[in-house]
Amino acid sequence: MPYINSHSNSRYISAFDKWQEQKDFVKFTKDDEEALKKMHPTAMKYADDFVEKLYEHLMSHPDTKRFLSDEKTLNRLKLAQKAYFLDLTSGDYGEEYFNSRLKVGIVHQRIGLPPRIYMTTYCYYMQLIIPTIYGNPDFDAETANAIFMALYKIINLDQELAISAYIHATDEVISRQSEEIMEMSTPVIQIWDGVVAAPIIGTLDSGRTQQFMERLLEKIVETNSPVALVDITGVPQIDTATAQHLIDTINAVKLLGSQVIITGVRPVIAQTLVHLGIDLTDIITRPSMAAGLKVALDKLSIKVTDMSKTTQGS
Amino acid sequence: MGCENTGECHIGSEGDIVTCRKVIRNVATAAGFGMTDVTRIVTAVSELARNVYVHAESTGMMRWNILQQPGKVGIELIFEDQGKGIADIDQAMEAGFTTANSMGMGLSGVKRLMDEMLISSELGVGTTVRVVKWGRIK
Ligand SMILES: Nc1ncnc2c1ncn2[C@@H]1O[C@H](COP(=O)(O)OP(=O)(O)OP(=O)(O)O)[C@@H](O)[C@H]1O
Ligand SMILES: [Mg+2]
Repeated sequence: MPYINSHSNSRYISAFDKWQEQKDFVKFTKDDEEALKKMHPTAMKYADDFVEKLYEHLMSHPDTKRFLSDEKTLNRLKLAQKAYFLDLTSGDYGEEYFNSRLKVGIVHQRIGLPPRIYMTTYCYYMQLIIPTIYGNPDFDAETANAIFMALYKIINLDQELAISAYIHATDEVISRQSEEIMEMSTPVIQIWDGVVAAPIIGTLDSGRTQQFMERLLEKIVETNSPVALVDITGVPQIDTATAQHLIDTINAVKLLGSQVIITGVRPVIAQTLVHLGIDLTDIITRPSMAAGLKVALDKLSIKVTDMSKTTQGS
Repeated sequence: MGCENTGECHIGSEGDIVTCRKVIRNVATAAGFGMTDVTRIVTAVSELARNVYVHAESTGMMRWNILQQPGKVGIELIFEDQGKGIADIDQAMEAGFTTANSMGMGLSGVKRLMDEMLISSELGVGTTVRVVKWGRIK
């Protein structure tokens, strides 16, 4: 299962086929895959022992211990850790491997485990592994070097994936939050004596409508404005629920003795409203905020004169 | 990875309705639908996802498929929930019928916004709504 859905254009994670280029770049070749495979029996032999040592080490530091809350999680993590460790020397560095390494970064981001712990833990791991390469009677010096080099490369590739995925996941959180913030904040401003305006950006779901309505009503009272322009240029679509929220808002404003003009009604929005069978004939709508302002000024019997076009009196 | 032809979104919160809309807006645009059709499709998504969220009293799923046929492209959307079901589908489809004190314009509106629409429902078991919109390939 891919962890990066194709609709989020990540600046940080490359697709699997691009990862091949990454391997080429660090000169990770078939020879390296072979070298790692040679290490697999040794890895199998030491896997349980290493995992135990690793967790002992993690448990002895408060910074890492806090992520290892209960026995059940711990056992699950140990199993995952063992699989992770054995994957290193499995000889298969295909798409499944790629995804499993991305997942590490994404999960770490989600549980708030900082990259420093991931990196330093990896370093401790290496300290356990290296002696089993060089102290191994099965490997001559050349083989041991080849294995060490291959391991170094694959770990580098691993770390790049995990860290990039981590940044990607953080980035997603930020962009989701900024969207939410934008959806939450709808300014209501006085644009003329007697006219307030509220440009809505994004969608009007129930929670937000409530807030928006309160703020609009407050501002109308505060500025004693007979007219409110509610601009929907920035609303991507209007469904029945949004329409209902708008109508509720308009009715509430009416109760204050003021009037709403809906501005920024784009042709597509007008069409979908007709398709939905929503009747807005009782409501004053205008295609633009400027057109709405004109209506508002007319209602207030305010005349605006373009001074450049009037002949200046002597 | 390219653009996928099928996918699904979970519907369990109001935020999920926003996600459904966003996903389908991207998918429909990528499939080649024009701005007007995309708005119609996304509005239909909004209605049907909200119906799951508001009426089903259980969670549900939206699944989408891009349909390719000679000279045209389609988007199929299936909303499925294991909720309380609809007692009388014909009545639910009537403009103005609602059990939730809202407008009751959702389902009848979706029928006009989309090209095909099929509802199946069983009380206490759940509801499935399938809609399709066709567009010409440019
Ligand atoms: N997924 C569902 N599960 C159970 N009941 C549903 C479901 N979808 C629709 N219904 C029933 O069908 C009725 C009509 O739905 P429709 O979308 O047309 O109107 P509404 O949701 O009540 O109001 P609106 O969509 O205009 O805000 C609903 O009031 C509800 O009783
Ligand atoms: Mg509805």
